[in-house]
Amino acid sequence: MNLHEYQAKKILKKYGIPIPEFGVASNIEEAKRVAEELHLHQAVVKIQVHAGGRGKAGGVKFAKTKEEILHLAKSLIGMKMVNEQTGPEGVIAKKVLISKPIDIAKEFYIGAVIDRDRAQPILIASPEGGMEIEEIAHKMPEKILKMPFGFDGKIRSFQLVRLAKFMGWKGDLAKKGAQIAQGLAKCFMDTDASLLEINPLVQTPDGEITALDAKLSIDDNALFRQSEILSFYDPTQVSSQEAAAKEFDLAYIAMHGEIGCMVNGAGLAMATMDIIQLCGGAPANFLDVGGGASKEKVAEGFRIILSDPKVKAVLVNIFGGIMNCATLAEGVIHAAKELQIRIPIIVRMEGTNVEEGKRLFQESQLKIITADNLQKAAELAVAASKTKR
Amino acid sequence: MPILVNKKTKVIVQGITGQAGRFHAEQCKEYGTDMVGGVTPGKGGQEILGLPIFDTVWEAKKSVDPDASLIFVPAPYAADAILEAEDAGIPLIVCITEGIPVRDMLEVKRVMNSSKTSRLIGPNCPGLITPGECKIGIMPGYIHKKGKIGIVSRSGTLTYEAVWQTTQLGLGQSTCVGIGGDPLNGTNFVDVLKLFQEDPQTEGILLIGEIGGDAEEQAAEWVRMYCTKPVAVFIAGATAPPGKRMGHAGAIISGGKGTAAEKFAAFEKAGATVTRNPAEMGHTMMKAMQHSQHKQKSEK
Repeated sequence: MNLHEYQAKKILKKYGIPIPEFGVASNIEEAKRVAEELHLHQAVVKIQVHAGGRGKAGGVKFAKTKEEILHLAKSLIGMKMVNEQTGPEGVIAKKVLISKPIDIAKEFYIGAVIDRDRAQPILIASPEGGMEIEEIAHKMPEKILKMPFGFDGKIRSFQLVRLAKFMGWKGDLAKKGAQIAQGLAKCFMDTDASLLEINPLVQTPDGEITALDAKLSIDDNALFRQSEILSFYDPTQVSSQEAAAKEFDLAYIAMHGEIGCMVNGAGLAMATMDIIQLCGGAPANFLDVGGGASKEKVAEGFRIILSDPKVKAVLVNIFGGIMNCATLAEGVIHAAKELQIRIPIIVRMEGTNVEEGKRLFQESQLKIITADNLQKAAELAVAASKTKR
Repeated sequence: MPILVNKKTKVIVQGITGQAGRFHAEQCKEYGTDMVGGVTPGKGGQEILGLPIFDTVWEAKKSVDPDASLIFVPAPYAADAILEAEDAGIPLIVCITEGIPVRDMLEVKRVMNSSKTSRLIGPNCPGLITPGECKIGIMPGYIHKKGKIGIVSRSGTLTYEAVWQTTQLGLGQSTCVGIGGDPLNGTNFVDVLKLFQEDPQTEGILLIGEIGGDAEEQAAEWVRMYCTKPVAVFIAGATAPPGKRMGHAGAIISGGKGTAAEKFAAFEKAGATVTRNPAEMGHTMMKAMQHSQHKQKSEK
């Protein structure tokens, strides 16, 4: 689960990480209150969306007067940001963060991730902040320091010395930098984070060090024990289909094509998308209904797929293991009747109780095309999606 | 001789009184697996499916001496269940549970890496099967056929697809191992490849990977260096958008790394026979074996 910048900053603050004073507004009155409470005469106003590249997209602006703060808040709240990360649909900023401006002497990068290979959390730091870490890694890999830290979020003192030297922090700055690194590592472990980034971490002309931007993603599997973070969930930042799927515990990801896919199992779902493309079509979505899906869940999955107006055909590919083909058939038939589906449905089933599933489809009187294997099913779906009706 | 499990393997189920645990314990038993008991804290002394239930794995170990434990414990407690099985010295631990937090798996990995007694398969996996002998997992048994292909995969249902294709082509399987779709797992591709390489029953290896991480790249490097058997490969997720988690916790292209294209390229470089079509996994395996026979003949 991704968090907004303001949410990440709220959490980081608790770990002693200095953050420029800020407030959040979702309308002009709130913006006014923030400006007054913080006595702001100038401010940085930033849209709060779950996507990077906000600056380039015009979602981060500097206000030189109090009036301009309000003016910018008004124009940025409700802004639709569209870039490579958001896809053509874009995301809408429901809130803006209003922050005290900071003079910048130097920008750094500091973050933490899980290293899959070593099965360890690692701290990543660079004296070249302000650009994305991938870009630093590409342009000047020697400017990146990676250090593993403890599962309890502790960084060893020799590592802190190494960090300070690498970043060029001396004296008081080294002390402040070490505190930030410690806080970041502790926060990373405590929140079950999968990614935590402060970029840029900024040194001011008067020798202070502060987190100008923050990014925090949490391991979805750990949300059951992260109640505060769960309360930060913002369904407005994903497509309505993704939000609905989440509610029913279905893994759904929107794509840009025309063939809706309903598959059990993540690997098979990806493979189904791949074969559609190989056959000259384009998948409209990834949808894994899961192993033990019920009839209701299948029907809900169908509803979600069909709520995407781009969908011109649906390919159902199920390899019954735990999932029973008859259950799938019941779900599809139920949804097809209820929603009065007019687009072609291609079904390929194999595995547990497949004969019963096929019988149910035959008796349903629905125009469902069945295919005996994956290749055939994909070809039929692609052909159906290209037929003009 | 297949790998890891055979008809002598004695199996217990941790979480046997839950719905999934009970159902699959029964299915495994029906398949012919030697099920010897189950573990559910607080239900020790009872019986289920004619099997004794123990409160702890340690008691089960003492009483029925299992070779393997199959875990269905819910995600919040599953890491503990793995650690308990390791602590009791169970040689093979198979964890089916999906959704274990990464932070819990860090601890599990640390323990498993230094374990002298145990190997972990999974979590978030379908388990493993040696057709006709032993099934420790949730895969439908009837699609399998005793034979000569070793299958290793990060997926569940996509593995069934591969199994079904090799069964229909008459190749059959020696052992099929699902290593799981999580970012941190126990046994990895390379571990299983090593076992297949040593196994005389396995004549060809079918590896099914997916986007995310670099376990496939490591496997490709191992194949290039050490593998003398024909290897066929499919990688799922060529169409997956970057930055999105594709159902499996581990299936994500992050920072431009972990793409299907990179993984295909690594295996091509390693001399494996790859296919980009999931409907062609069986045929590709066949092709790889014919190619290798041809090569052997021409070398003679």
